[in-house]
Order: sequence, then C-alpha cells, then structure tokens
Amino acid sequence: MSEQFSRRDFLKLAGLGAATTAILTGCGPASRYVKREPYQEMPEYNSVGQSTYYATTCRECAAGCGLVVRTYQGRALKTEGNANHPLNLGKTCARGQATLHGLYNPDRVREPSNGDWDAAIQVVADALKNNKPDEIAFLMGMTPDHLFDLVTDMADAAGMNAPVRYGALGLFEARATLSKAAETLFGQAGLPFFDVGGAQVVLSFGANFLETWLSPVSYTRGFTGLREAKTKMRGKLIQFEARMSATGGKADEWVPLRPGTEALVALAIGRLAAEIRGGSMPRAFSSVDPLDVAEKSGVKLEALEHIAEMVAHSTGVLAIPGGAALGQSNGQAVAEAVLALNAFADNLGKPGGVYLSALAPNQSDYSRPASAREMQEFVEKMASGAFKVLFVHGVNPVFELPASLGFKEALGNVGQVISFATFPDETAAEADFVFPDHHGLESWGYQRVATGTALPVLSGAQPVVSPYYNTRATADVLIAAAQLAGGKFADALPYKDEVEFLQAKVSTLMNEADGSFSALDAATFMAYFQQHGGWWKNSDARLAPASSILNSNIDATEAEFAGEGDFFLVPFVSPTLAEAGANKPWLQELPDPTTTVMWNTWIEINPETADVLGLHNDDMVKVSSEAGELEAYVYLYPAIRPDTIAIPFGQGHTAYGRYAENRGANPADLFGVHFNEAGDLAFAGMKVKVEKVREAKSGVGLARLESRMGVYGEALGEEH
Amino acid sequence: MDMKISEIKMSTEEVGKWGMVIDQDLCTGCQACVAACAMENNLSFVGEEDAGYGRSMHWIRIERFWEGEYPEVKMTPNQPMMCQQCGSAPCEPVCPAFATVHSNAESLNLQVYNRCVGTRYCANNCPYQVRSFNWRDYERPEPLPNQLNPDVTVRRRGVMEKCTFCIQRIHKAQDKAKSEGREVMDGEFTTACAQACPASAITFGRTDQPESLVSHLMHQGHGVKHLEDLGTLPNVTYFKGG
Repeated sequence: MSEQFSRRDFLKLAGLGAATTAILTGCGPASRYVKREPYQEMPEYNSVGQSTYYATTCRECAAGCGLVVRTYQGRALKTEGNANHPLNLGKTCARGQATLHGLYNPDRVREPSNGDWDAAIQVVADALKNNKPDEIAFLMGMTPDHLFDLVTDMADAAGMNAPVRYGALGLFEARATLSKAAETLFGQAGLPFFDVGGAQVVLSFGANFLETWLSPVSYTRGFTGLREAKTKMRGKLIQFEARMSATGGKADEWVPLRPGTEALVALAIGRLAAEIRGGSMPRAFSSVDPLDVAEKSGVKLEALEHIAEMVAHSTGVLAIPGGAALGQSNGQAVAEAVLALNAFADNLGKPGGVYLSALAPNQSDYSRPASAREMQEFVEKMASGAFKVLFVHGVNPVFELPASLGFKEALGNVGQVISFATFPDETAAEADFVFPDHHGLESWGYQRVATGTALPVLSGAQPVVSPYYNTRATADVLIAAAQLAGGKFADALPYKDEVEFLQAKVSTLMNEADGSFSALDAATFMAYFQQHGGWWKNSDARLAPASSILNSNIDATEAEFAGEGDFFLVPFVSPTLAEAGANKPWLQELPDPTTTVMWNTWIEINPETADVLGLHNDDMVKVSSEAGELEAYVYLYPAIRPDTIAIPFGQGHTAYGRYAENRGANPADLFGVHFNEAGDLAFAGMKVKVEKVREAKSGVGLARLESRMGVYGEALGEEH
Repeated sequence: MDMKISEIKMSTEEVGKWGMVIDQDLCTGCQACVAACAMENNLSFVGEEDAGYGRSMHWIRIERFWEGEYPEVKMTPNQPMMCQQCGSAPCEPVCPAFATVHSNAESLNLQVYNRCVGTRYCANNCPYQVRSFNWRDYERPEPLPNQLNPDVTVRRRGVMEKCTFCIQRIHKAQDKAKSEGREVMDGEFTTACAQACPASAITFGRTDQPESLVSHLMHQGHGVKHLEDLGTLPNVTYFKGG
C-alpha cells in the first residue's frame, strides 16, 4: 500500500464505515504505525469523538484469543474480545483486559541497554557471526509464534541449535505428559481437546480449566454449555483434588482425594462402572481393587460407587486430567487412567468427548514447549559452557523455572546473554544486553491456536498503537542483524523487515480452500488477515482416531513424594496473575477467586490443622522442602485436606517493576528436581514442613476483599 | 474537574429502562468482569495497604461464601455484586447535596461527582455495600493515564463512586440510535462486565422491551432480587446456582 493511499481510502475500499463496530486493517510497511498525536493535532483517520478499533491477538498467555482494541487519538483505551474469532467469540479473561497495564506500565524497558539500535544490531550480528552455529542458543516463550518461526528458519539454515520454548504455564499444565498421553490414546502426539460443552457428567482430576488451563476462555464457554439446560439436562461437574480450586468451587461434587491417588481413583471408578454395566471387564481396570483404593485415597467406597453409578448410566461422560495430577511421579499412569475412562464412556471423537486438537493452518506437526527435563538438559549445556551466546525472548526463566534447576547460576557460564525483554524482569537483570521488544499491542505477528476450538486458526496480531518507547521488534532486529552477519544468516532471512516476513508466511495460506476469507493478491490477503484478526478454516479439523487403551495394562500405583515434611504441597497457578501478570497493578488488585486475597502470597491451611499447629490467619510461616524454603502469610482455608497446604504461583519477584518487586513468595523455590516418565516436573509430588515464624500483628497481613464483607465476623459488617 | 455533561443530564427524551440478569450457576468467579469494569470506568487501584483497609475501588465484586465444614464444605455460587440500580434506593434520600439522584426515565441511580461533598451517607445507607469512596488521590504514574477512557470522568479525593451500568455506553448507543431515527436495539451494546464475561453469566438490556433477552430472563420465574424485603426494588435479577 503506498503512502498516497491513506487508511481512510482503504476503509472506503473495504466498505467499512467508521462505525463503532468497524475493525480497521493494518496497512503495508509504508504506513506501519498509527501515530500518537496530541489531542489538538489529530491524525486524519480520527474524527472527534470516534474511536478506531483494531483486531489483534492477546499475548498474556499462549492460548491465542482474538482481541479488538478500542483506540482513540492514537491511544489504546480498552481491549475486548474479537466476536468473530473462533476461539474466544468476543470474550476475554481478566488478564486480557489488563494487558493495557502492560502496554502503559511505568516500568517498561525504554531503550536498548547500549543506548542505540545500530550498536545493538551490531552486537547481535557479531554474536551470530563470531560464534559457531552450535554455540548459539535461543530460549523463547510460548508466544509469539511468528518470531519462533523466524528463529527456526534462521536456525535451520545456519545450523544453529533449534530454538527452545518454555513457559511456567506449560510446566503447571504438564504439557509433555498430556501430549504423551494423547500419543498413547490416539497413536499421535498432540493436545487433547475436551468438549466440556457437549458433556453431561464431567470428571475433572484437578484440571483448573476455568482458571489458566490451556485455553481458559474457551473452556469457560464449554462450562456454560455444560450448565445450560436449553436442549439437554443441566450437566454436572465432579472435581477430584486435594485443595478446592476456583474450578472445584463450581463443581457439584468436590472429592478431596489424597494427593497421588488420582490414577487409583480413576481406575476404581472405571472398574465399579464396568461392574455395574456388566459384560467383560476391560483389562485397564482389571488390576485395581476399589476397597483398597478407598482406603488409600481417603474417598469412601460409597462415594466411588455413587460416581461409578453416574458414569455407568449417563451418556456424555467426560474425564479430564489436570496439570497437578499429571505433574507427579506417576503422571503418565494418571493420564492413561483418566483417558481410559473416556474410552470406557465411548466418547472418543464424539460430541461431549475427547478429540485431538486441530493443528493450526500453517503447522504440519504438533510442537510443544520444552518439558522440565528438556530444560534441565538445556541448563546443563549452559553450565558446561557449550553456549557462547544465549538469546532470551518472551520468557523469564530465572523466575519461571524452579530455582533448583540452577538456571540463574548457569547463566554465568554463558559467554554473552542477550535479552529481548519488554519488562525489566529477573532474566533481563542478569543479561549482558537488553534489547527491548515492543509490547504485544505494539507488535506484528501471529499465534497458532493450539487447542480450544474445532477449527484450525492462525490468529493475527498487528500494532494498535505506535511504539511508546525506543523499542524495536525483535524480528526486525534479527533480520537486520542477519543481513549484517551475511552468509547463511542473510540467506535465511531475505526480508526487508518483520512485515515482509509475515506477509511471506501468511500469504502461503492464500491458495488453501475452505478459509474464512480469500483474496486475489497477497497485499489484500494480508490486509484482510489484519482486519479479521487472523485466518481460519471453516470446518472441524479435530481428529478422533480409535483407541485400544482399554485393553492395555495401566499401572495402578500411587505417586511418590519427595521430602520429609508432614504436608503435601499443592502449588497452583494464581488464576488472576498467572505467570506474568504480577507487574500489572489492576491484576494485583483483583481478589483471588477463592480467597479474595490481593497483592500478596498466602499459604492455605485447613483450619483444624492450623488449630493443632497453633496458627491463625495472617501468622507468618516458613515452608521448607528438600529444595528450598519460603515465608508467607497463613490463610485458613476451609476447603483443603488437613494433610495438605497450597501456595499460589505468580508472586515472589525480585525484579519486574514496582508492582511486582519484593512482593510475596515463589512456590517454585520449593520444587525439587524429580520428573515423571514424560519428562515433566513432579511439582505436585513434594512434602513440606511448616513452622511458625511470627504471630499476626494488627495492621500487618493479607489484604483481602472479604474482610470488607466480614464473612468471618472478624471485621466490618459483623452486625448483619 | 473534567465533567461530561452527557453523564449527568437527566433526559426524558432518551428511551430505555435498563436492567441486568446474572446467572450464578454460570459465574466462575474469574474476575474478568472486575478487570473489564476497572479498565472501562477509570477505576483507581489503591495498593496493598489501602486494599487491606477495605478501600479498594471495585465497582463490581464477586462474593463467595462457605457452607459446611471439611470435607462436606461447599463454595456458594459466585455472586457478582454491583450497584443494583434500585427503584427505591436507600442511598438517594440521605444525600444532602443531591449527588445521588434517580433517573426515572432510565431507571438508574445516578452519581453526580461534582455535587458530591463526601459525606459518605449514601455508602453508609447502601445495604449492598457497593459504593466506594476515594479516600485519597490515588497515584496513577505516567504513562498509565494514557489508558483512561475519555468518556468517563476521572474522580478525585473525597468523591463517592459506584457502578453506573456503563452509562457512557448507554448514552453512546442512544445518541447513535437517535441520529438514525430509531430506538436502541436489544444487544446493540452491553456493559463492560457483560461483554467480557467468558461464561456469558451476565445479561444486560432494556427491561421496557418485553421481547428483549433480559426481559425474557427476568420473567422466567426462578430469578431472585437481593434484599428485596427492604423494598429497594433492585434492577438486577439473580439466578441462584446449583
């Protein structure tokens, strides 16, 4: 698109008015960015009082929800869901809403650490050129996919190490185990898709699918489908977990099983249901003894029988294995046992059942983030000095990896560490150079939707505002540096800039049939891609191969626990902060859905246990595991097993800006290095000690919303 | 203080009475509505200490209570609570400055920020405890103010505030409808909380249109209104969960 061809002309051409529902397109490189102007000098496409709307993709997690951002005179004011996007259909979660507090965060990295982008590009070019390809490593986050593709292209061409991706959410979701389980079930690796919306009875083994699990907005829509009684009966949710999560709070039945017995309970329910239904006993369930399971799990036999009754007699039974159930020494067995229940319910590939998620349009194989074991190998290579240069983008491994893996220490053995962080996080603080990328709302890109919708979706991102600071797109930095480095690097990335790279990648979809739109030339296709917020196919591409899992032997064992303490530790991801929300002040001030705590870390303890230990609300306690210790305030939580404590993940930053720094504690400090068969960390397999450090003092303690309502009779409102 | 006239004008020309239905069986307590409200309505964050004293500025909060004891413990269905836009509002008659006034035309409780002198009588008299008071001028460091919604007044110290049913959105839709010579249509716009809600637990719309979705839901029969026995005539209907 030329400079003479203004946005307004384009709008007319595309037949869009400046009506409030219009979504504007991104234009070509000539008019790449919207300018932020003083209110008295407005850009020509803005008329007074009219907002301009841009479709883009949320980067607060890797799910890839479509956003429409309201902008006004070059400022981004509000994010809304993109109503046409197949994944989220116009909805957002709290983190998507608060993404603007990332964009306008007062603590962003404002310029390259060596002051000047030409010098920065020279540093990157030298790092590429002066080291052997296998001495160069990229560690990347789970977003964005276009940059991952760019680095992969460069790595393939130059013989560098393939980029490694990691994110704390991936660890807590035990994605490697889930993928391995899909392989066992379907003979093909991938992310299973659980059609909660079409089910009648959902058995969730600790899956926090209404909070942060895989694709929470889409799964919440599924939950609404489960509950709605328009064309069917109101569906039921049964949650098996030692500590009631926000998802468990919505369950019709909450079953507080002993941690580590998830596989046994799933198999026992299968066995009892098979007995009720009659016929031959599936081999998968044959080795388990329900009476023994009842004793080990602490779930009464009558309760197991009652659930088995439902499983045997209902249509639309669906069983979901959650991250904490899989992140144990026997995670693989848990996944198989839970998926076997689905095979028993005969729901594979049926509405209300389990599918294999569709691959995105420009994806040929499923690729998952690195498991903890793969990260350990990566850290070992770093420590051995195998990497002369490490590039880090989109992830904060010093915070997001368990401290016991030793990432921070290993950084010292890497010759040069270059961070592309948008925020001054812990990893950027350890880096030799920080060459900040734009914020997601200032960026081009795309994200593959990994799960959550039946359609293959490539979600598009475009800048909704011009970059606020002297930052630069990492893709542009790498392209420029590759040209400067020459040779194979330059050959791998023969693009003028990021937009040209994107166009080259996206326009390959032009010739594919069954798309959400089509166009005759690449420029128009690209413009539509930005305007619609992505490109997707119109038909269901989920896979549903048959499975023989019922005829396999499943290991009916309990998980092993590491450490000496008296308490099982349930670490869970904060539903409001997740792994990267702590620097956004309004996310900090959102009350946690179950405890209503704001701005801090708490330790959930059953009131009876607390009584025995002499602990009260807001006492400071020390929790220690074999790997480390932390201190945080006590929260007497009525819905947790007496032998279990729980700590949310999300706080405990030592850097990352004023709203995150020196606030709360990080439960990942407690994780020892133990893996399950699939290589995921057995983060839910810890036993810990609890000691009181000091008594609660007046005026010191957790800020909770509920004291305002006085539900415990401890504060205001006691009289009513 | 910057004040938009359209926010405080009590017009009899604009048609439409507004109401909300909340399905507690669907609400997951995820806080998306709380965040959406904060972003739309320029709510200040107050920080840990003031939040601990109960001074946080949420216009909508999600209540959950506990029933029973372990292991038979249950979380009550999440209950989003915001200004109920009472038909006969206890907050209104106690205001000495006529800052909490009623719009019969739209069946809304208005809060006129530039009349408010901060007596806090209204909050004291609100049985739903949904009003929040600006105890300070809360800091919003640069460049965070870039995110402020120009359609919504930024409040300062000493002023009471509360949910407005996103009155700026109502007026925008009304203006648009008027310029096109029609009435506001059902589903043409919605409040920030309802728009964000991933569970679609919140339905907002015109209660004076019998065919609107919100009217249908309101008259389904199993809805309840909170503290109805106080005679407040709330405009928010709840479906109890479970």
